[in-house]
Amino acid sequence: MKEKDNHKYILLLIVAVTILAALSVFYYSGRENAEGNNELLVRIVLLPKGVNDSNVFWADVVEGAQMAAQERNVELTVLAPAFETEIDVQNRMIEEAIEMRPDAIVLAPCDYTKTVPYAKKVEEAGIKLVILDSVMEEEAGCCMVSTDNLKAGYRMGSYMKPYLNEESVIGIVEHIRGVSTAVEREQGLRNALGEYGSKIVDIRYGESSYDKSYEQTKAMLTENPDINVIFGLNEDSSAGAARAVRDMGLGGQIKMVGFDSSLEEIQFLESGVFDAIVVQRPVNMGYLGISVAYQAARSQEVPAEVESGSVLITKDTIYTEENQKLLFPFRESDAE
Amino acid sequence: MAKQNSSYVKSLQGKINVSLLFIVAAAVISFMIISIDQSRTAVRNTAIEYTSQLIKMMNESIDSYITSMESIARIVVEDSDVRDFMFSEKEPDRALYDEKISGLFRTLRDSGSDIRNIGIISENGRYLINDIDTLINPHAGYEEMGWYQRALSGEEVITSSHVQNIVYNEFPWVVTLSRKIPGGENGTGAVLFVDLNFGSISSLCEKTSLGTKGYVFIMDDAGNLIYHPRQRLIYSGLMEEEFTPDMLQGEDAVFSEDGQKLYIISRSEVTGWTMVGVTYMDEMMSRTNRLRNLFYLMAIVLMGVALTVSIFLTDMVTKPLRKLRGTMKIVEDGNFDVEIEEPDTGDEISDLFRSFRNMILKIRELIEQNTEEQREKRKSELNALQAQINPHFLYNTLDSIIWMAEGGNKRDVVLMTSSLAKLLRKSISNRNEMVTLSEEIEYTRSYLTIQKMRYVDKLEYEIDVESAILHMEIIKLIIQPLVENAIYHGIKYKEGKGLVRIEGGFGEEQILLRIVDNGVGMTREELSHVFDERETDTRKNGVGVLNVHRRIGLYYGGEYGLSFESEEGKGTVVSIHLPLPDMFRGRGEGSEEKAGKE
Repeated sequence: MKEKDNHKYILLLIVAVTILAALSVFYYSGRENAEGNNELLVRIVLLPKGVNDSNVFWADVVEGAQMAAQERNVELTVLAPAFETEIDVQNRMIEEAIEMRPDAIVLAPCDYTKTVPYAKKVEEAGIKLVILDSVMEEEAGCCMVSTDNLKAGYRMGSYMKPYLNEESVIGIVEHIRGVSTAVEREQGLRNALGEYGSKIVDIRYGESSYDKSYEQTKAMLTENPDINVIFGLNEDSSAGAARAVRDMGLGGQIKMVGFDSSLEEIQFLESGVFDAIVVQRPVNMGYLGISVAYQAARSQEVPAEVESGSVLITKDTIYTEENQKLLFPFRESDAE
Repeated sequence: MAKQNSSYVKSLQGKINVSLLFIVAAAVISFMIISIDQSRTAVRNTAIEYTSQLIKMMNESIDSYITSMESIARIVVEDSDVRDFMFSEKEPDRALYDEKISGLFRTLRDSGSDIRNIGIISENGRYLINDIDTLINPHAGYEEMGWYQRALSGEEVITSSHVQNIVYNEFPWVVTLSRKIPGGENGTGAVLFVDLNFGSISSLCEKTSLGTKGYVFIMDDAGNLIYHPRQRLIYSGLMEEEFTPDMLQGEDAVFSEDGQKLYIISRSEVTGWTMVGVTYMDEMMSRTNRLRNLFYLMAIVLMGVALTVSIFLTDMVTKPLRKLRGTMKIVEDGNFDVEIEEPDTGDEISDLFRSFRNMILKIRELIEQNTEEQREKRKSELNALQAQINPHFLYNTLDSIIWMAEGGNKRDVVLMTSSLAKLLRKSISNRNEMVTLSEEIEYTRSYLTIQKMRYVDKLEYEIDVESAILHMEIIKLIIQPLVENAIYHGIKYKEGKGLVRIEGGFGEEQILLRIVDNGVGMTREELSHVFDERETDTRKNGVGVLNVHRRIGLYYGGEYGLSFESEEGKGTVVSIHLPLPDMFRGRGEGSEEKAGKE
């Protein structure tokens, strides 16, 4: 009788152990299957400034972000207004993104001041925040991923410096007065020019509009016909200025360095209106932004600032293997 | 309990269970290892096979693009209108040739897949790209381009992917095929180029799925990237492609150093390009991991089942063995009256049981036989003893007869002699053990008669036996020895006359005979030693009381026999307890009660 109980006890133990082991295997394998691998899924929302067909920069940022997301176990959502000027739209989108409760938000703030409270909201919600491209009035986020604008400005200046002499008269077309990118690029430019900084006679603001930039440049050249060197400090101001120079028949006579890249700018470069352009690396920016956000979301140490880089391109280097890819983004939509 | 556990491994069941568990575990684990290894190899081979085929197919499609470009080039180069247009002395009328050449180009572009541009350019600046309205990009600088220069020197060129800037305001990504247009008596060179939309190749690569992380890229023979999904990251230094053609060493499939990535290549003879498929093994292996988990599960369940079955089985085997051992233990302790339930299994164990039971039965039989023999032996011994007539008694009786004869007491001589004769005849003749009660009483009466004549003034006797029991059979010589005992030990030492009284009747579920004397009786001590074997002295008491008691026990069972009551100076009562013969069942007080009950 006692022995019989003993056996029952052993049997019960075996059955229990078997079931327990089977369940644990199931649980383990189930978990592994759900995740695909051992890494945890990280959900990141990217908020670029403005995505539309004519804007290459932000499309490239998104492309870079997607590359980074694909490499890691990241679920990426992109929320973007059509144009950079739609500050309110972006702010609403930030709130929308917070409601999605992602692990991290990568934000390229549309406005220097108005975006600040929304960025704060992100941090208050306990979501990791990475700032892309532009700084704001108040510091926010755990990391800033951007082009080093001082350096980019310096590149423009140091390219031009050998061509400068006592007769040089310099005009600058900027996008928005006081905006960080413009201020820093100008500072970098001045640092490179050194003593020739005094040759800067006029600074105009195109207010992120091709037409305004065009008109401002025309006005500047009319008022200061001696100007023989022009710097454009962003895409629309550079393109607008180049159009004005071309239309005034001064192409090739005025040395010009533009900023950012578009097909139009490349054509100006080919045709000799621009001597050089400095382009950012938007793909890198997007890629690095997501990479950093991923690290932050996984509670890893992240640097406070990450530089995404810039490159100076002249007519001769447009079609190098490397620069082709940078200047002529190849996308599925172009394939047709 | 603890002791049981420690000896469990040593027990038969433990041995079987433990070894079976080990065997099953070994079998399952080796099966598992082999299967997992096999399935990993299978998955790996399938991955290589699948990827190779995919890459090969892609390569073939790309080759077919290039081949179609080449045939287009051949047609254009051979075309006389083209030559006329390029090499005529006079500046040709563009409008005139438009019809002919543009028509041809249009047809060729429509026939070929994804042909972006077909163009001809001569050194002297004549050109026609696609149609007459397409303007050349004045800043294109095509003269500096590799595809132009190399073609002009007579090479057949297929470029890597690049941006084609020759058409004004267009910057498409293309692969360019270019060659020299032969002819031109004046020595001017001319180049034909055909641009294939790179999108047709890149989308082919992009659409090729090698898992979520896997990808396809193309290298030219110089090791430059033609297509890579991460090309821009690679150029900006954020990423590096670990694969280099040196890794191959003649193989078409090679693993990365950490074994995590599988590179499979296919080299195109047409273009000299190398197509590389990159597959991440962990993605491939996730399937085997699931398989592995399934194996673990199976192994655990199998071992559980095996153990359970083994325990049941061994229990089935060892339970009857343990039972058998228990029974043997009882037998070992001397109890042969155990019940042996044979298990209903029909196997060796039940054979063992049967043998053991037969053995026990045999032993029991032998013991019984032995006991019986011993009893018989004892009986006959005792009977023989009992049958002896005390020689003193005989001598004394004969002496008395002589005295009586001398005294002329003729009647008494006859009585005594006849009584003695009866006595002797009974003891000699009757070989039968059993006599009727009346015969036994007669025998006793003869004895008493003799004794009464010898002890004339000393002895009186009375016989009072229920007539109903007179015919029952009893073993002989049970009353007389007691009477003799009563006379020699009770009456003989009494002063005055003694009385011996024989009573017979029904007791409780038995026959009760009593020999009552009023002799000297026994002390309490004497009474307690009445059955001791001290009085084998036949002279004194013959075989006596003990013999009678034993014989009754032997014949009727231990519960029957003699009992004594005695009081010193007053007399002794000896009771003979005998079983109630069957013929009396249903009579008497006891049976009436029984009847009443029924």
